[in-house]
Amino acid sequence: MGVHIVGGSVIKIDRHFELGYRDLAYRVIRDCSECLDVDYVVISSTLPELSAHQVDLGTHIIQWIGRRVPVVRVESGESSGLAAVELAASLVESGRVEKALVLGVEKVTEYPTYTANYLYTLTLDYEYEVLRGVTPPAYASLAMKELIKSGVRRECFSNWAIKMHENAAVVPHAMLKFKISHDSLKDTQILADPLTLYDSFAFGDGAAAVVVSSTPNRSNSSVEIVYSNTEVGLPAYAREKISDLTASAKALKESLERFGLDLRKVVVELHDSYTPYPIAILRALRYLDSECDLSNFECLNLSGGLKARGHPIGATGVYQVYEVFKLLTSGLGGKTTSSEYGIVHSMSGPDNLSRVLVLKR
Amino acid sequence: MKLSAPQFWRVKENQYKLVITICKNCGRKTVFKRPICPHCGSDGVEYIESAGIGVVEEFTKVYYKRDSSEDRLPEVVGVVKLREGVRVVGEIVGIRSDEVREGMEVEAVLRKYVSDEPYGIIYYGLKFKPV
Repeated sequence: MGVHIVGGSVIKIDRHFELGYRDLAYRVIRDCSECLDVDYVVISSTLPELSAHQVDLGTHIIQWIGRRVPVVRVESGESSGLAAVELAASLVESGRVEKALVLGVEKVTEYPTYTANYLYTLTLDYEYEVLRGVTPPAYASLAMKELIKSGVRRECFSNWAIKMHENAAVVPHAMLKFKISHDSLKDTQILADPLTLYDSFAFGDGAAAVVVSSTPNRSNSSVEIVYSNTEVGLPAYAREKISDLTASAKALKESLERFGLDLRKVVVELHDSYTPYPIAILRALRYLDSECDLSNFECLNLSGGLKARGHPIGATGVYQVYEVFKLLTSGLGGKTTSSEYGIVHSMSGPDNLSRVLVLKR
Repeated sequence: MKLSAPQFWRVKENQYKLVITICKNCGRKTVFKRPICPHCGSDGVEYIESAGIGVVEEFTKVYYKRDSSEDRLPEVVGVVKLREGVRVVGEIVGIRSDEVREGMEVEAVLRKYVSDEPYGIIYYGLKFKPV
């Protein structure tokens, strides 16, 4: 049985101080007619217990929107969104349901940024990393230093940030819709030397929905989920190098080889929470040398990536799937592609776990 | 943040000592006492206690403001290669952040991690200071 994405909706990622979890969820599905015609809902969210004192968020959202549809919530750190799509696809593929809604929703602005930073840090191992003062930007910085030692120029990371902002500028739901240049990168805030604010993702609230169905749309406006793959990596502290993102590289390589695909020729959304990570992954896959020329990629993070579209943690994977779905069908922000395939990559922490989803027009 | 006495008590051996897990199956060493080798999945493991002396291989000055970090930024986080050949990531203290150098010899010391201010539980654990 085939599994198809037949519709979806997103809201702009932003600081939505006026909207809570349930408001964000309602906002994203209220204008999405296909989103309500489902027989199962999978909610994806990472932080509600911590940021909103709420357990069993899925049930409370479904009650709030006046539905009696079975619901389950998925939490798998930063990769929660893609995990939710995987679960929905499995439910459909098994014949348990015909149509499932995947709804990713996250609030990161309930508290000041330093509290949100702490909550995000908990995607690492609390007892063995967080208590010891290890944070996500510390790992990203150490990875960046390793890559620089191996010959990668510092400008490579800045080039990634510039390209992501350029891509996001035309994407309606992107958080940072402005272009940057090498000049704007000077004197920026340092997170963990040499990693700066411009090497980091944008923190925002968001909600995204996609509908997974056993039946494709008649109007050629659906895509098929043809493969999913998950790899678990070693804890960063146990690796030979922190920049060895072997789980991501393995999951992507296996997915590309299975369909004979070239990452430069397909629609791809890579998890770029910090600029060293996509650079490390593309180097491991031998798509980049030390010059880091990104111009050969036809459809690389056309959304702007986590870097500029934004990263509403547990909802991000659903945004990525929606974006690839749109690019393979009607287009996104005026961008269209003739590519047959789309690749979605999501990881939690510095490659603690990596997921890949392959979509086909 | 509320700290839990039982949670920290359970992991005290890995917070107060540097224990290394040696896998009898694949031969790899990993920091922390763990029941299963993270590399090959074998439970045939044995343990040694590190002397706590090592060399800073890499480090970063962290300005990432978060709950419980406000009074100590910038903090230095480094990769320390222990004499026993295992790497461990941790904070480097007892030295000005601009004086930390790669190749510097450091030793593990017991320092405060976090506390429930002002009268609550305090967690202590290992950091590194120059020898």
